[in-house]
Amino acid sequence: MAESLVLIEHDRQQVKRSSLHAITLAQQLGGEYELLVIGHVVNKISSSLVSLGATSVIVADDPALAEPLADRYATVIAEAVRKSGAKNILGTSSTFSKDILPRAAALLDAPMVTDVVAIEQMDGSISYRRPINAGSMFAKVKVEGERRVLTVRAAAFETPAANAAPCPIVRFDVDAESLPNGMRFISREERKSDRPDLTEARVVVSGGRPLKDKETFERLVGGLADALGGAIGATRAAVDAGMAPNDYQIGQTGKVVAPELYIALGISGAIQHLAGIKDSRIIVAINKDPDAPICQTATYFLVGDLYQIVPQLIESIRRA
Amino acid sequence: MDFAWSDQQRELLNAVGRFASQQLNYDVIENDREGIFNHEAWKKCGSFGIQGLPVPTEHGGLGMDPLTTVAALERLGYACKDNGLLFSINAHLWTAVTPLVYNGSEAQKKKYLPGLCNGTLIGGNAMSEPNSGSDAFSLTTTAIKKGSRYILNGSKIFVTNGPIADLLVVFATVDKTRGTDGISAFLVEKNSPGMNVARKLEKMGLRTSPMAEVFFENCEVPEENLLGKEGGGAFLFTRSMTWERGCILASAVGSMQRLLETCIRYANERKQGGQSIGKYQLVASKIVDMKVRVESSRHMLYYYGWLSGHRKSVYLEAAMTKLHIADCWVKCSEDAIQIHGGYGYMTEYEVERELRDAIASKLYSGTSEIQRNIVASMLGL
Amino acid sequence: MKILVPFKSVPDPNDATFAGEAASASKSVINPFDEIAIEEALRIRERGEATEIVGVTIGAPSVDEQIRAALAMGVDRAIRIDDARALDPYAVARILRAVVEKEAPHVVIMGKQAVDDDSNQVGQILAGLLGWPQATFVSSIEFLDNKTRARCTRETDAGLEVVELDLPAIITTDLRLNEPRYVSLPGLIRARRKPIEVLTCDQVGVNVRPLTTVLAVARPPKRPAGTRVESVEELITKLKQEAKVI
Repeated sequence: MAESLVLIEHDRQQVKRSSLHAITLAQQLGGEYELLVIGHVVNKISSSLVSLGATSVIVADDPALAEPLADRYATVIAEAVRKSGAKNILGTSSTFSKDILPRAAALLDAPMVTDVVAIEQMDGSISYRRPINAGSMFAKVKVEGERRVLTVRAAAFETPAANAAPCPIVRFDVDAESLPNGMRFISREERKSDRPDLTEARVVVSGGRPLKDKETFERLVGGLADALGGAIGATRAAVDAGMAPNDYQIGQTGKVVAPELYIALGISGAIQHLAGIKDSRIIVAINKDPDAPICQTATYFLVGDLYQIVPQLIESIRRA
Repeated sequence: MDFAWSDQQRELLNAVGRFASQQLNYDVIENDREGIFNHEAWKKCGSFGIQGLPVPTEHGGLGMDPLTTVAALERLGYACKDNGLLFSINAHLWTAVTPLVYNGSEAQKKKYLPGLCNGTLIGGNAMSEPNSGSDAFSLTTTAIKKGSRYILNGSKIFVTNGPIADLLVVFATVDKTRGTDGISAFLVEKNSPGMNVARKLEKMGLRTSPMAEVFFENCEVPEENLLGKEGGGAFLFTRSMTWERGCILASAVGSMQRLLETCIRYANERKQGGQSIGKYQLVASKIVDMKVRVESSRHMLYYYGWLSGHRKSVYLEAAMTKLHIADCWVKCSEDAIQIHGGYGYMTEYEVERELRDAIASKLYSGTSEIQRNIVASMLGL
Repeated sequence: MKILVPFKSVPDPNDATFAGEAASASKSVINPFDEIAIEEALRIRERGEATEIVGVTIGAPSVDEQIRAALAMGVDRAIRIDDARALDPYAVARILRAVVEKEAPHVVIMGKQAVDDDSNQVGQILAGLLGWPQATFVSSIEFLDNKTRARCTRETDAGLEVVELDLPAIITTDLRLNEPRYVSLPGLIRARRKPIEVLTCDQVGVNVRPLTTVLAVARPPKRPAGTRVESVEELITKLKQEAKVI
């Protein structure tokens, strides 16, 4: 019987790489683990997961599961958990897992811990570390009960090695008739972008309010990101001002990123924004105010006018 | 003696602080530089309830007692950095709204108070003249009765809210030979024929509160706009001045508190010679003095509010309160700049503006010298 | 249509407290996401689609100030479940389920997460317990077919997604759904006349205990203070040679 079950997220026939980080927590918790893929026509996805050390890849494949509707997905997860007997139900923090896993926890009558960044084992009991208050504090929590649902912060756990002997892919039969039917998917507006995914990029360049407008934002933030092959992020203020789309927002209520290099342009560093970038390896701040809080967090900071510095920077990088 | 707020007062004060800090502090540096009145913020204050604080509920106000009112204004001054906006609100409240509440006819109150409370109307008063400032009752503007109208002639200076006011309380004499007994007050609406709001006055501080010269040239005012009795203007003015003196610097106490906290933060963060500058006694002692000034000001303000609410005479206390808070505010702002060093002199640190805004408090509503004269006379000197 | 809005009292994230009198300053506010939920309910009522808005919160009498703020914004009446324990999302959702069963609203609108605990669970758990449809991280709500369905736009990692829910349902709010109105003083005075019903867990028929316990809270280690560089060239040299990141 598997100790843990890890929910794998995918998008357009691709596994979301960040969702694999939860596997590392499953390994740390010990025991066997299974992976769960839900969707429709997901053969390619499930076969790409066989060498991640799981005992099996469970696949719930049905037209009724083509879109990630929380009521149906949570039902499938709860049934899969009951069948597998897993004690830990894991996922990586994302809007997908945050939407679905708490609902699955409700169906399983289990407690849930969001955004786990580390575990501590003492005298046979386990405690979980997670950020609270926009990451300004960490709480160490323990949970009771037979089962628990956990989501992890991708940045806090490595990608697992993919060198295990292939495991079987097991079909999980879904009775589509018995699935809930109160929610309907209507549409998704996805932007096509040649830039890497924000949460998986090696370099993230993001901008704040001083970028003024959409065009300037694209020219400076986008220009620098392209020079470095990076993704684009934004502060809440920049998003609210219409300079960047909603899903670019980084921070407490937006995305959490942890790239190798994070470049903050015209960002003062409100605690809510810092919450989303703290785990980046190198942080560069370019700002006109040397006393801005971001300068305390940045690895390097350069004080001056964005409109002069950024074009210079783009130019120098392109030349190099 | 009970120094505690009731739960209701505490909720009201917290609501004021939250409203002001979130809704009123934008574009303050720019508006100060350009001398722009933030009309949108004024309207927000109206719909929030600031302009209605001391006005009875039947006229669209909140009917708050004087102590709660000054405490609310103190909190407003703490959370709102736009001292000019606050000055405009104070002028409106104490020189237009309060005289109407105490001296207006039912018809006048019905007509003007709801709008003055909810932010749609802006009030002000026109008393000072080029040749009569602190000696207010030597005014020369005349109001001659002609049928059912008064005809006003004369000029007024330092009219706070002049360029934006919808309603001015104008003081004029109906008969110069009667001296003080001839002075009467009139409610003059914007765009009255013969009223001319002349140039906007540039000034050192409170730059977001517009001020103008106003001329009356055969300005016709219907007789129903006489405020109070004919010849009752001096009494009305003295009473409203007492209100004004006691209350106008309530927001300044909040400003001082904000400055004090800014200085404490800065003194803890700023390091010189390996330690926070707050550890140096010369800096610490300045901050201690600021703290004592804030507390003494606050206690005088609350005592004034308490007396006023208990319908006790406040003529002396109002003058002392005004005198003391004005001195403290100027001194605190000056110290705040000194503690911040060169940064304090820079506009973007928002400390130098405080000094420019504070200085006028020794001039308006009776100069500090006039307040001292009042105190001296009340002491039998 | 009746709307139930659960809300939580949290430490003021902007910390705009009045240090002048520590004793009188409130350091708590309505959770900003719940405030957005309240605002949305008010707008739905203002466009004539709802007739009653009921607020519910859980806590000791000290949260009454936030309850009155909700009433001052325009919530019609409020329920406080009198429970001062440190509850987890598991317990909160089970208490709210009992309130939902008692009040029978057509829709529950609440914040996607509380900004103190950042768990982002309660709405989804509540939906799961009730077996109701859910839409999380919502940035627009529209009611269709004589208010039997709701069409919601959700802010997801991949972009905007539109879903339809059969009512009754649970909706959790994201930042850009609306900008909440401020509590006005006349509203606050009117709020004093609105009823606050205080009930215990026993009275709503729920017996639950939290399964999550916070053992310790600590500040994260600080990142070392940044190095100031003076020019673009110096920055690039550092990134190449010291950080080896480009």
